[in-house]
Amino acid sequence: MNLIEAYVYEVTRRLPEKSRNDIALELRSTIEDMLPEQFTEQEVMEVLTNLGDPSLLAASYRDTPMHLIGPKVYDAYIWTLKMIIPWAVFITILVHVVETIVLFSGEESVLSVVIKSFGIIIANIIHVLIQTFFWVTIVFIFIERVGLSKSDLPMTKYGTEWTPEQLKLVLAIPKKKAIPRGEVIFGLIWTAFWVVLYFNADHLAGVYRSIDGAGLQMVMPALNQDVLMSYLPIVLPFAAFEFGLSLFKWKERQWTMRLVAINAFIKVFSLIVFVVIASNLALMNEAMIPYLADVLEINSSSVGNFIEWAKWTIIVTVFVTVAIEIYDSYRKAKAI
Amino acid sequence: MGPLLDTFTTELRRGTLTLAVLSQLRTPQYGYSLVQRLEKAGVAIEQSTLYPLLRRLEKQELLTSSWDTTESRPRKYYVISEYGSEIYEQLKKEWETMTLELKTLLEGDENNESD
Repeated sequence: MNLIEAYVYEVTRRLPEKSRNDIALELRSTIEDMLPEQFTEQEVMEVLTNLGDPSLLAASYRDTPMHLIGPKVYDAYIWTLKMIIPWAVFITILVHVVETIVLFSGEESVLSVVIKSFGIIIANIIHVLIQTFFWVTIVFIFIERVGLSKSDLPMTKYGTEWTPEQLKLVLAIPKKKAIPRGEVIFGLIWTAFWVVLYFNADHLAGVYRSIDGAGLQMVMPALNQDVLMSYLPIVLPFAAFEFGLSLFKWKERQWTMRLVAINAFIKVFSLIVFVVIASNLALMNEAMIPYLADVLEINSSSVGNFIEWAKWTIIVTVFVTVAIEIYDSYRKAKAI
Repeated sequence: MGPLLDTFTTELRRGTLTLAVLSQLRTPQYGYSLVQRLEKAGVAIEQSTLYPLLRRLEKQELLTSSWDTTESRPRKYYVISEYGSEIYEQLKKEWETMTLELKTLLEGDENNESD
């Protein structure tokens, strides 16, 4: 193939089928126009240098954009990704934590299950992130190509062109008042964790012992699941309140006095419910005290004292944590 | 400073390109004859920009084209359409006002400096 034919081919193979022949014909005659009657290879090279890189020439013939996501939709694209990714990560963690706790049979030690879950969760998050990125990108490439927005102006995150009306929806959030998204998501996972723990306490919390060197196994539950479940009508609404509170925090994105009040109310009542449940003597598995006394070779009353002491330590810790959290939220809401 | 100046010059030229091309197409021209005409008038133009531009203007119905196969090699001739002429006249007016405005601006600038 001579140089001219090769050049024409290099340009036209990058173009849509229907315009190829016409452009090839025109390009060939143009190149020949630029050459003298009798030409040398050197002269052909000069002319082709003048026309430049065939891929660039082909690009200027084409109407379709040379990018996947252009400036028109880029902003909306990034915004969508930022919006979806935290939720994708949250749901991934939640599903795995719930699944692990529900399927936990007590045959493996808690520590090894936690370590294994941690690895699986990280792998799943990476997988979900890749999937999310891929599908969101595909959708936006489609929007870019098909041009769902017909105008030349960029699309905003509201899916329309910019108007001054949108300024009314702008919420400038001071850094000192802000509730980080991560905090909200962590709160949701934390609540879910306790709810699942509540329903499965009898095969999660208990006395673990290494039997015949075969790793830790649960020999006896610490709590009476029946007694625990009798508090369901109180516990369930509070779990729902906690979830609702997290969603409200997500929506507000900053601490306001109203949010502080609602938060304090829910936290204080949760604490009361917690203390009421914890101080119910029937909650403890009766068989555990003699068992522990036997194993530890001390008398039952010291075990009882120890449990009582542990219980109050937990209650005081929770109380202090709640107090700090409420004060902190109040301080943030007051910040200017 | 060289490359930056080049970028600005190219930008300035690009805006005037359509006007320059339309002005030369009252009589039918093929690609290379148009290049020659423009070069003779001192308008340097990248050929890789010109040919795609002609096709685009044709698609936008500012130009019409026809193949002449009577000569030794087939040539595609472009000529301005009626619609193209209208656009050209308006564009020319815009250009004239713009140069006038800019001239005032630039001269004003010189006057200020001499003050």
